Amino acid sequence: MEKSHRQRPNPSSSSSTQFRSQKFRSNPTTKDGKFTKNNSPNAREDFVKPRRASQQTQQHVDDSSNLPVLLGTCPFMCPVAERTQRERLRDLAVFERVDGNPRKTSSDLAVKKFCRTISIRDMPTSDLRPLPVLEDTLDYLLSFLDSSEHPFEVVHDFIFDRTRSIRQDLSMQNIDNEKAIYMYEKMVRFHVRSLHKLRSCTNENISSVHYLNMEQLTKALTTLFNLYDINRSSESINENEAEFCSFYVLLHLGSNSQPTGESLSLWFRQVPIPIIKSKEMGFARRILRFFRMGNYKRFLLTTAAEASFLQYCIIEPYIIEVRALALSCINNGGYKLHPYPLTHLSKLLMMKVNCSLSNRTNNLHTEERTIKSHSMTY
Amino acid sequence: MAAYPGMSMGEAHRRITEYLNRFSDAVSKQDAASLRFLLSLSSNSPFLLSLADALNTFHDSSRLIKHSDHYSQFSDILFNFFRSLQTYRLANLFDSYQAFEKSANAFIQEFRNWESAWALEALYALAYEIRVLAERADRELASNGKSPEKLKAAGSFLMKVFGVLAGKGPKRVGALYVTCQLFKVYFKLGTVHLCRSVIRSIETARIFDFEEFPKRDKVTYMYYTGRLEVFNENFPAADNKLSYALTHCNPRREANIRMILKYLIPVKLSIGILPKDWLLEKYNLVEYRDVVQALRRGDLRLLRHALQEHEDRFLRSGVFLVLEKLELQVYQRLVKKIYFIQKQKDPTKAHQVKLEVIVKALKWLEMDMDVDEVECIMSILIYKNLVKGYFAHKSKVVVLSKQDPFPKLNGKPVNS
Repeated sequence: MEKSHRQRPNPSSSSSTQFRSQKFRSNPTTKDGKFTKNNSPNAREDFVKPRRASQQTQQHVDDSSNLPVLLGTCPFMCPVAERTQRERLRDLAVFERVDGNPRKTSSDLAVKKFCRTISIRDMPTSDLRPLPVLEDTLDYLLSFLDSSEHPFEVVHDFIFDRTRSIRQDLSMQNIDNEKAIYMYEKMVRFHVRSLHKLRSCTNENISSVHYLNMEQLTKALTTLFNLYDINRSSESINENEAEFCSFYVLLHLGSNSQPTGESLSLWFRQVPIPIIKSKEMGFARRILRFFRMGNYKRFLLTTAAEASFLQYCIIEPYIIEVRALALSCINNGGYKLHPYPLTHLSKLLMMKVNCSLSNRTNNLHTEERTIKSHSMTY
Repeated sequence: MAAYPGMSMGEAHRRITEYLNRFSDAVSKQDAASLRFLLSLSSNSPFLLSLADALNTFHDSSRLIKHSDHYSQFSDILFNFFRSLQTYRLANLFDSYQAFEKSANAFIQEFRNWESAWALEALYALAYEIRVLAERADRELASNGKSPEKLKAAGSFLMKVFGVLAGKGPKRVGALYVTCQLFKVYFKLGTVHLCRSVIRSIETARIFDFEEFPKRDKVTYMYYTGRLEVFNENFPAADNKLSYALTHCNPRREANIRMILKYLIPVKLSIGILPKDWLLEKYNLVEYRDVVQALRRGDLRLLRHALQEHEDRFLRSGVFLVLEKLELQVYQRLVKKIYFIQKQKDPTKAHQVKLEVIVKALKWLEMDMDVDEVECIMSILIYKNLVKGYFAHKSKVVVLSKQDPFPKLNGKPVNS
């Protein structure tokens, strides 16, 4: 019943072996003067430095740097030693079990776990997966999102942990080229979708799962921004950067500093002009304005009309908040002797209104309390 | 390295020795002002520039340094300072910074041993120079396609200096100057969150008494911490700090006053206080002129236009979101104007404002809003106490309170 019938080629039989890893070494200093932030017309004169100091750039000339350049050689999704150890300890996720056997896995199914306590010094290169293997592993992991065999929390949990390990391998090898960008974009998208999907999950510790998801989302997004900075050139901006910047804005709708602790005003200073003027950022900034103003009509209308699915996933909890605000305002300022018509309210707030509430049209307080159980109609 | 025309070996020798003597004299006489002058590398004073030429002519300065006991004890400071000056003169900023940092480190060691705080002014010069040199070194790195990292290093050095000053002795009054240099570094790097730990040290450590610090440093400190409050939209705190900076700033330092006002004005606007036109003119803050005008007239179109026109400038200084939020106050003003006009026509009915009238007014301003949205805005204004009254959905009218229908903000920000 827990059989995994996913077929995938054995990584060691594909061309992505350790011998290929030589070609994939990423060294930012070989970008040959592409780091021309100050010559770019988009640079803001204020800043000498990109958005955030990247911990990933190497200084091959500087005597003070002593970070080793690690190059992974593990050809499998999971290092052999870890695989056999986890077999022994019966520490295998359902997706990793051969024929559902909790004691058996294979090189096709085992995926390296995230290890919090390991440092660069202790990680042998035979346990590190090179870039091509990481790319294949990521695509393999994300393919589980299509299946409905298991409850979403289980799928999420597996992908959550294993992608975290992928990011760990990427960072230990200082991989910060465009391929890394591509991978991080996929991972951030996964976390964003999970924001939405986890909301309909019902198990008891879902709020901590949700919290951890948000934590990794912001970490991955921050790293992604660093990668965009490192790879920026005067000729082009990455095609997806505007979209991911819009995610950042929407994540910070609520208060001025959640969830990264940095205020949006501060963050905006460092965003390149073409990104500010992009369609995606324009949308995000309008939503931000409507939210801060309390303009519930435009907020809901614009979200419904223009939000992409991923943007909606992020905005979703604020929709509830805005509807509640609308009710508070109407309740507070509306003429008490003429109750606010429900059909109009339903249209305004873009939601189905429960029949049982029509008996209580005078008491909008009740609607406020039950608003969380209503679904979006769009 | 070619000898400089017009400078003989003998001349070069003389100039270097002169510097060494002045240095050791300054230390033995505890003359901080002279020492400060001698260390101000980027000041481009003729004395230092010709010393740089001398060093590039006569290469064996280390022999000269060892020549006398008076200055050989400072050999680390001097040798590295000379190297820094030489490479600075040759426009090699990266090497100049590296050498300067070594020199500054050596100076700190000496400074620690001097019991009194006599050399603080010279230390200030070092703190300033290290930041300025780091900025230039980073520009050089960036233009060569490398990753800039010297300003960050300067930040670490300054933290070290802060640690040296954070003690019970008289040197502690220097800590605020160093703090301000750190603020400048962090703001430039964009790592503003790092300000938090220094702020905490200054404001909560018992060894520091804020009033003891020099006035100039207090003004700078309040300016930066005030700006941080603006980023976090804590308007009462921002108002306090920036107003302090403004009041205590030297009135002749017009550039500094302008910088303070740049952030204070949006804060004041948010609490309902409008600057006079002459202030904007005097300090060349014309970017706010239309914003203020929009608030006075209730002209939403003008506000939006002003934000668009100066969007980049406002975003860069971090006040854009603050100014955007003024929209609610502009709406309040617009409705107030409609009310006044109605009062003139028929005072008995003035307190009833049809939503259609507001829609029409907005249309004149080229703002396209339907009745629903206007009702939404009115309900928000009422909820946030910018308007007193209620709205009737069926009759599509707002009924204003007979008493004080448009409460003033009175120095408090709009309820969020």
